[in-house]
Amino acid sequence: MGYLRGFAVTAKKIFEGVTTKQYEGGKGGKTDQKAPKPERLHGRHVLNKYEDGMEKCIGCELCAGVCPANCIYVRGAENPPSDPKSPGERFGYVYEINYLRCIHCDMCVEACPTEAITETKLFEFSFSNRSDAIYTKDELLVDDDGRPQQLPWEDWRDGEDQHTSGWMRATAPSGKASAQGTVAWSGELGYGVRAPEAAQNVRTPIDAAIEAVAVDTAKAEEKG
Amino acid sequence: MSRLTPENVEVAKEIIARYPRPKSALIPLLHLAQEQDGYVADDAMEHLAELVGITPAEVLGTCSFYEMFKREPVGKYMINVCTNISCQLLGGEELLHHAEKTLGIRPGGTTDDGLFTLEDVECIAACTEAPCLQVNYRYKYKLDNADFDAMIEDLRTTNKDNIPPHGTLAEQRQHIPADKLAGIGSPEDTTTPEWFSKRLPVEEPKEENA
Amino acid sequence: MTTAEPTEAVTGVPFTLNGTELVAEEGELLIDACDRNGVHIPRFCYHNRMKPVGMCRMCLVEVDTGRGKALQPSCMLPVTPEMKVETESEATKKAQDGVLELLLANHPLDCPVCDKGGECPLQDNAYAFGPGETRFVEEKRHFKKPIPISDLVKLDRERCILCDRCTRFASDVAGDPLIHFIDRGSQTQVNTFPDHPFSSYFSGNTVQICPVGALTAEPYRFKARPWDLEAVESTATVDSTGARVVLQSSQNEIVRVLGVDSDAVNWSWLSDKERFSYEATAKGDRIEQPLVKNEETGMLEATRWNNAAKKVGAALRVEPDRIAAVGGARMPLEGQYAWAKLLKGVVGTDHVDAQLDDGLPGPLVLGLPRATINDACKPGGVVVTIGADLKEELPTLFLRLRHAVVEDGVKLIELTSTATHLSDFATVRFDVTPGSVGQFATAIAKQAGADLDFDVADESGLVEAQADKVAAAAALLDGSVPVTIIVGRGNLAESPRFTSDAVGIFRRLNDDFQFMPALRRGNINGALEMGLVPGFTPGGVQRESAQLDTWPDVPDFDGMDTKEIFRAAAEGRIDTLLLLAANPLQDFLDEDLVRRALANVKTVIAVDGISTETTDLADVVLPAALFGEVDGTFVNLEGRLSPLRAKVTPPSQARPDWMIPAELAIVLGVELGFTTIDELHSELSEVLPSFADIDWDTLGSSDDGPVLKLNRSWNIEFGKPAAAPPATSAFRLVATRKLWDQGTMVQESPSLASLPSEAAIHLNPDDIERHGFVGDSVTVRIGDQTHTIPLTSDVRVNPTTASIPVCLPGFDARTLITGRSTTAVEIRPNGTT
Repeated sequence: MGYLRGFAVTAKKIFEGVTTKQYEGGKGGKTDQKAPKPERLHGRHVLNKYEDGMEKCIGCELCAGVCPANCIYVRGAENPPSDPKSPGERFGYVYEINYLRCIHCDMCVEACPTEAITETKLFEFSFSNRSDAIYTKDELLVDDDGRPQQLPWEDWRDGEDQHTSGWMRATAPSGKASAQGTVAWSGELGYGVRAPEAAQNVRTPIDAAIEAVAVDTAKAEEKG
Repeated sequence: MSRLTPENVEVAKEIIARYPRPKSALIPLLHLAQEQDGYVADDAMEHLAELVGITPAEVLGTCSFYEMFKREPVGKYMINVCTNISCQLLGGEELLHHAEKTLGIRPGGTTDDGLFTLEDVECIAACTEAPCLQVNYRYKYKLDNADFDAMIEDLRTTNKDNIPPHGTLAEQRQHIPADKLAGIGSPEDTTTPEWFSKRLPVEEPKEENA
Repeated sequence: MTTAEPTEAVTGVPFTLNGTELVAEEGELLIDACDRNGVHIPRFCYHNRMKPVGMCRMCLVEVDTGRGKALQPSCMLPVTPEMKVETESEATKKAQDGVLELLLANHPLDCPVCDKGGECPLQDNAYAFGPGETRFVEEKRHFKKPIPISDLVKLDRERCILCDRCTRFASDVAGDPLIHFIDRGSQTQVNTFPDHPFSSYFSGNTVQICPVGALTAEPYRFKARPWDLEAVESTATVDSTGARVVLQSSQNEIVRVLGVDSDAVNWSWLSDKERFSYEATAKGDRIEQPLVKNEETGMLEATRWNNAAKKVGAALRVEPDRIAAVGGARMPLEGQYAWAKLLKGVVGTDHVDAQLDDGLPGPLVLGLPRATINDACKPGGVVVTIGADLKEELPTLFLRLRHAVVEDGVKLIELTSTATHLSDFATVRFDVTPGSVGQFATAIAKQAGADLDFDVADESGLVEAQADKVAAAAALLDGSVPVTIIVGRGNLAESPRFTSDAVGIFRRLNDDFQFMPALRRGNINGALEMGLVPGFTPGGVQRESAQLDTWPDVPDFDGMDTKEIFRAAAEGRIDTLLLLAANPLQDFLDEDLVRRALANVKTVIAVDGISTETTDLADVVLPAALFGEVDGTFVNLEGRLSPLRAKVTPPSQARPDWMIPAELAIVLGVELGFTTIDELHSELSEVLPSFADIDWDTLGSSDDGPVLKLNRSWNIEFGKPAAAPPATSAFRLVATRKLWDQGTMVQESPSLASLPSEAAIHLNPDDIERHGFVGDSVTVRIGDQTHTIPLTSDVRVNPTTASIPVCLPGFDARTLITGRSTTAVEIRPNGTT
């Protein structure tokens, strides 16, 4: 008779009502107002650039290697010395993210050694065919002023392209061991370069040593 | 500049013959090349490699280890001013500074007329005579600025000390007569040398409490 | 802490490792003893196939030999009795920290850019043994970022940690010390001499052994990262050494080949041809679909397999002796067997030859007792080389032999027409003019006491002039030490007859002498073994005595070799000619004869993976899968079976070689008897006694692979050697092969295609002086032809010998050889007649 108890659970749940909420924001929604989103939401990715227009991506494939959903495909190539795409020898020749697979876990962002890939807060994008879902490097790259491209099937609102290239990281911004574990934003391009935050301005003994050497060198040069 | 001249090739062959392995003659041969051109030219290194049967890279590896083998053309006179402790205390740096101004070049540079190359060096082992310098590795002791100027003037004109151009090690080349050679065997020859068998027997230490 | 089970050494030196009492072998280095006992000591410079130098200091461990503890480099320290070793003590750890911190003081942290990132010993050791943080704040040492040190290798001196591995490899292993430490001091760097690039045939090995990303290979640069590589172990097929390799692919494309340390074969070394010619399969001009010539337009057009097979089937339904097949050395063993079964067992023709008249007679190769590479290289032995410079033809074997001769005191006797890259180390080296090798062999054998019923025919006095060398060689061949005779085809201009005469005489001198056929073509030994040679069926069995139950038929006539096949074809005596991965227009010595043959054959069927000038002229082209695309088996020159494994899929409709004859048989109304490769393997084990015990599934996966017993019961009759040709004109011609040539695999690999040098005639400098040759070319007269050929002075060439490589860009040396029975050439200063 044990199975009746199972049915009882089902029957009870039928009348409990739905917990799933309809997303009401966005185009075609009831309000045309997007739902408020937390600041660290993982949305659609962007590939960032430096202020001089160079791509930050060096094609190292660490993002592809760490991706649990296997949705990133990267191929590196040798930077043409006459027309380098990124600083250093290597650049991302192919960069594709398949959003049918991406789970927005942000592991790629954690893995990226140059902060080339970050995530915007854009959540409202859907596609009606597979090729739209695979974002290529051309689509992911930001403009020269640091703003993400807005594709036809994406619902961008005013101001939403702010704070897309910065990254809230807890793994020692700028590689300072002393800042390990301190959450901070890195500086970013777009809407002007945003100043780095708290922990990035903490001076460490190593910083002091570096500055001291720099000052000495400058003095020595002045003299000579 | 160039490969060895035919005369120097003959000298080179004589030098090589002094060693059990041709490769061992490399440093004397580099001196020979430097003597010919005032520096060791790339072509000369290639030529030496052919003469001793190694690759040019190996010649370069040896040559580049030694500061005194110059691989770029230098002046006829190489002036090395010591700036190590004793000389520094007694005005070596000032002397170098004066030399820079007088010759119009920085250390490592060569004057436009190709006569002088200036270098600063670490201790040249003449601390009692500080400050000192070398011209083509010949010492000048306890110089002040006036002495330096006089020396330069002399080198430009009379060269009363007869300092040979850079690269010359000895004015008389050594030739070892064949019968005076040290008895070169091949490297594989393991026979005991004569002097070894003739040496006095070593006394065995007496064992105590035997 | 010992993790693995300690293995007992045979003769022991007792020592204590981290408190555990162990036994090391006599003279064993501490680092090896620790490795063997499961204790890993970090290292950068130490490489078990090279002499230690103690350069990097990473392997410092605390050692107490009774005089107190001290840090010592374990790679330089043989284990001594009662030695106490601490690999995890505080002092050791501090030393490791210090070494790594200093190494990283100048090493750039561009790991994400660096190709080595992810598989880098420096990265690994820094994580496992490093201090975690650096105290250095100073600017690192800077050099210009990667500089090409050869066409294949780039050097990033900033990343170099000066471990001396590449330079040691270049000078000690390869014998090409073209890279060296330069500017020793604070600016120490590895570099070449200006304009003398590191153009070694073995340069790729330095990339493999570099413990950092300082050396990178041009073909692999930025192609993939270690974590997206998939790998499978296989065997290199570009020459018959059969070096063990690992194929690495990314995105279904082979991107890298690395050497595997096989103790019996290649010791982890590879030649650059073995390492980089994988490019030909990925980037070459592949044949992807069956092609059939359109009768009207004369153009090859893509078709379906069925149509092509039907057309081939029709062409095979003629008299068996009007069907011939050439080639097959490139294929895996399985393809060779299937083709042999189709051609000899079903069609019934014996006109099948895998060699293109540039090897040795099939019966000779099949009938000689074989030596393994380890037999030949065993310290204390004697090696006789007859034929070519192994560095040009079998470079990996050359490395093994070089090590044996230079390091292990193996005595070398050279009977070659030009000096080789081992001549400097040879105990006895003869100046053999073309055609005289048999006479030298006779003289040596007579002196060594052989009972020969003929005398040395030495009209020119050449042998007499080298009487002391003859005596020295004879003393080495007195039978007291093992002797291996490496036989190759050193001179394409002379008949292979002279070489086989010499082999015969050595065979008569002593039955215990072992031989190694130095044939260069990939799986040629498999092809001969599978019967792709006239007069034989698989297993090296002569046609008349063949007992093959699973075969419908055996040919009832003795077939022709390649040269005869082409002659017959040119005369219209062949209707159907199959070219099994052969490109005779490039490879055969008489290009004109091949053209006439192809024109006079009714149906030319080419089976190949890559489009060549020969496949362009075929009537039917069948696409075959290539190296790395199919599973199979390789037989190397020792007779060692090793696996070929598939890593990527063949392009489009290309098929494994064994499948093509199986399919064609069905068109002919016969079943070959196997529809899978496993069935084919079972048949091989069943039919051939030497394959009876082979475990095909695990072949070579845990060992070096089994060596087939190829010593035949039948013996070849050797008689009096052919007389050396009389000394007539000034020069005798030696035609050789170079590693980098116009061959398909080199030319279809983009990184290798430009490496062959221009053809030139090589003369001894003394000859050049004596004859007054000036300028950079000479006039060569042979028969009624006159050619102007670039001249190179080369001390390796014997006096009165003119050496010229074939198959190079520029002058086609084959025109000097074809259709001639003499090696005599007249050479005059340029401009005179």
